[in-house]
Amino acid sequence: MATITANPSRVGLPGLLKNRAVQKLLLLAVAAAVLVPLASARFASGSWPGALTVDFSEPLAKASDWIIDNRDSHPLFLYFFGHVSNVVVIAVRAVYLTLLAIGWAGVTALGALAAWRVAGVKLALGTAVAFLACGVLGMWVPTMQTLALMVVAVLASVVVGLLLGLAAGLSDRMDRVLRPVLDTMQVLPAFAYLLPVVLVFGIGVPAAVLATVIYAAPPMARLTSLGLRGADKEVLEAVQSLGSTARQRLLTARIPLARKELLLGVNQTIMMALSMAVIAAVIGAGGLGDRVYQALASVDVGAALAAGIPIVLLAVVLDRVTGAAGERLGAEPEPRSGLGWLYALIGVVAVAAAGRLAGRLDWPESWIVNIAEPVNRAVDWMTAHLYSGVPVIGGTADWAGHFTTWVLDPMRDGLQALPWWSVLLIVAALAWVIGTWRTALTAVLAMAAIGVLGVWKPSLDTLSQVLAAVAVTLVVGFAVGIAAARSDRLERALRPVLDVFQTMPQFVYLIPVVALFGVGRAPAVAAAIVYALPAVVRITAQGLRQVDQAALESSSSLGATSWQQLRQVQLPLARPALLLAVNQGLVLVLAVVVIGGLVGGGALGYDVVFGLAQGDLATGLVAGGAIVCLGLMLDRVTQPTERRAKKGA
Amino acid sequence: MDTTTPVFSVEGLWKVFGPKADRIPGDPELTSLDQAELRSRTGCTAAVRDVTFDVRKGEVFVVMGLSGSGKSTLVRCLTRLIEPTAGTIAIDGEDVRAMDRSRLRELRRHRAAMVFQHFGLLPHRTVLDNVAYGLEIQGMGKAERRERAAEVVAKVGLEGMEHRRPGQLSGGQRQRVGLARALAVDPEVLLFDEPFSALDPLIRREMQEEVIRLHREEGRTMVFITHDLQEALKLGDRITLMRDGRVVQLGTPEEIVGSPADDYVREFVRDVPREQVMTVRTAMRSPAADQNGSGPAVAPDATVSEAIEAVARAGAPARVVDKGRCVGVVDSDTLLGVVAGTEQPAPPGTEQPREAV
Repeated sequence: MATITANPSRVGLPGLLKNRAVQKLLLLAVAAAVLVPLASARFASGSWPGALTVDFSEPLAKASDWIIDNRDSHPLFLYFFGHVSNVVVIAVRAVYLTLLAIGWAGVTALGALAAWRVAGVKLALGTAVAFLACGVLGMWVPTMQTLALMVVAVLASVVVGLLLGLAAGLSDRMDRVLRPVLDTMQVLPAFAYLLPVVLVFGIGVPAAVLATVIYAAPPMARLTSLGLRGADKEVLEAVQSLGSTARQRLLTARIPLARKELLLGVNQTIMMALSMAVIAAVIGAGGLGDRVYQALASVDVGAALAAGIPIVLLAVVLDRVTGAAGERLGAEPEPRSGLGWLYALIGVVAVAAAGRLAGRLDWPESWIVNIAEPVNRAVDWMTAHLYSGVPVIGGTADWAGHFTTWVLDPMRDGLQALPWWSVLLIVAALAWVIGTWRTALTAVLAMAAIGVLGVWKPSLDTLSQVLAAVAVTLVVGFAVGIAAARSDRLERALRPVLDVFQTMPQFVYLIPVVALFGVGRAPAVAAAIVYALPAVVRITAQGLRQVDQAALESSSSLGATSWQQLRQVQLPLARPALLLAVNQGLVLVLAVVVIGGLVGGGALGYDVVFGLAQGDLATGLVAGGAIVCLGLMLDRVTQPTERRAKKGA
Repeated sequence: MDTTTPVFSVEGLWKVFGPKADRIPGDPELTSLDQAELRSRTGCTAAVRDVTFDVRKGEVFVVMGLSGSGKSTLVRCLTRLIEPTAGTIAIDGEDVRAMDRSRLRELRRHRAAMVFQHFGLLPHRTVLDNVAYGLEIQGMGKAERRERAAEVVAKVGLEGMEHRRPGQLSGGQRQRVGLARALAVDPEVLLFDEPFSALDPLIRREMQEEVIRLHREEGRTMVFITHDLQEALKLGDRITLMRDGRVVQLGTPEEIVGSPADDYVREFVRDVPREQVMTVRTAMRSPAADQNGSGPAVAPDATVSEAIEAVARAGAPARVVDKGRCVGVVDSDTLLGVVAGTEQPAPPGTEQPREAV
């Protein structure tokens, strides 16, 4: 919002009219005054007019049928997708069998020693404990399945991302083409990627791997390009001044200079791949995600938790180890680092061989601790005692019920009762006031596309859940973020919690909310809040802390109280960060609200799940398209003129 | 001195940034505009305007100017790190602008090496590998280039730090690495782009001494860019003073300080301690016949402040002795005249040692 209010002493328009935001709104109001009567005269007001929808389900169903009929005969599938699919299956299978052949002891040793080499002793211990925990929980084989899929998907994502990133980093034209695409892919919910892949590859491992690659490669590409472009100009000039060729410059200077960003890219790719590999259980990924999915389907919280804990452990370990590798870079030249790797390799081989000789390749049955039953007993107890009827505070199910009746239902009904053109108008106004006419146009078109797709009502249902979740997230997130920015102690206490929460895959959040609130829309919203909260808190706290110290000092030297400082200096100066927090909150909330379709969230997410489960790809694809549009709209509405550098989670 | 080909010969050099920059140097109407007018008329900025100079073999040639005067652009044009818009550049008589890529690389690899303001070191390499980098680019084998690099590292006084990373060095040490990297390729001419302006004053002086020492030992031609007048006067055999892309004055430090070309230069050099720049040659008067034997002897290119010291110690006028011959006399009056700026030295160009009568 343009806060530069005009100088009132200037003659002419009153001050209010010179405010840029007011000008934009006035212009929009004029446009609306002309267009709205026209539109409502032609089409009914209220829900999206049927005359303006295009039925995609029939052509989509036809396309889907055609693909299914021709998957085994058409040359495109035989000679391209077929090969891709085969290569993926073979690769995943090979990694999986290798992991099994090394045995649990070997894999644990491999993980721990690799962590030792890149990240030090502490993380090596952590890695070993994490792997052993996976075994103890009885999840060794699913863990290996997920890991095998991850290894293949991450390798492919890194290669694809590197190539795209190199192209975008070295050529301005490629950058102009790729950047908006990658930026947009970054804000779309993981769920939206599933159906197109299934359409081509059918349900199974190849589809899961490809969906993961599509989801996980963009951060690698973005960070590669960012690193190549961000290289110190003078260093490059110095290298050029010594008479290097372009190839020498790339290999000896540009790529090494970008190594921090490259490693950060690998880290983000791994985290996104894990997140997606788990969600891809819905399209046949198998492994841990599948266990969670199955357990959630039968509301078996204990089993879901037993599979969910290994996911969290994997996420934390992978994030810490790759993160530490990035931080260690360039700090100290390590002498004899080759020798260390040799020791590590010898160690792994020795442990694997020992496991083999002892005939202990599989995790021993007797070492498995079954946590599902006690957890389920606890959940039953909770259901009995905490769900409702707790004196004074009510129960969790009561809360969920009240939240649904008093917040979600009125919001949904209210949104659906709004005339369709007024929704478009609100979207346009918000996007234009916050951003530029371009973002406003994209947002309006995306919203209109939802109507055209014929899923106006379920989309508004999803939107109402998103808005409710975002409202709660922002209130809590801003409060905690401001508190964390003002208290060092609170920030120190929060940091590890936020770190863990930000690394957990979206899917995992469904487990505890189902335990607490049962199924329905409220738990989906709750999961979304929990998922988006850490990012909002972190961005808020960082934004407030990064406010120019000189401005703060000068205000306190003028005798401002800390409340005045916060209100008059910190919050206005941190405005871009706060807006980014809103934007991230929306994007992250949408991602989980949609996944909430798995636990009774209904609306678009349910349509996707239904489409997958029933083989009705057309319904699923339309819902997926609507999710994409909704994501685009929400992102653009809250997009300030400057694009953010990287994703908050 | 003037009979040999200059190392760099620059004539009518222009560098214009902006849309359709090519048309500007050739258009007399546009070239007469000043920077602000030019920008509003054409959207272009002329960083270097019609600059002409020669760099002689073995001299330290200083390009001096405030920020935005075009000096850094100028030095980059010499090896075409920035492509000039118009004019000619020759190195040892060979046209630089006509060079093809491989010839240009050859020039950068072997004939001119540059030292940068913010050092431009590769943070992921050790000191030794940074210094050896230029040789690596040339395709030299690992053992050989490291051996050569180790010699140069020792020469700039960084022994024992070969295996550190740039991040572990102080600013002064980093610039020694930058200097060593340039020296390692044994270039014909060294280009310095404000190499010491990012350093603390004490370290800066130390590095200046280092450059003077290297120049004395090796006699390598140097082109030195600076915005620091003291540095320019201290290092330069000749100085060209730039303003808004143009050369305002070109001459020895003594000429710049002693006879500024215009008010801008005069304002610039106003606070310079003249006695430390002006030489005895400008201050002396013809010796009287009877003074041949007595008084302390000073060389003609000694500074006035050195002569003041000699005169004050002896309590008598000093003789200016060149190759065993007394060419003049300085006494306290003439010396004070220089310090006060009342003594008008001979105009540039006509300045010659006056012969004894």
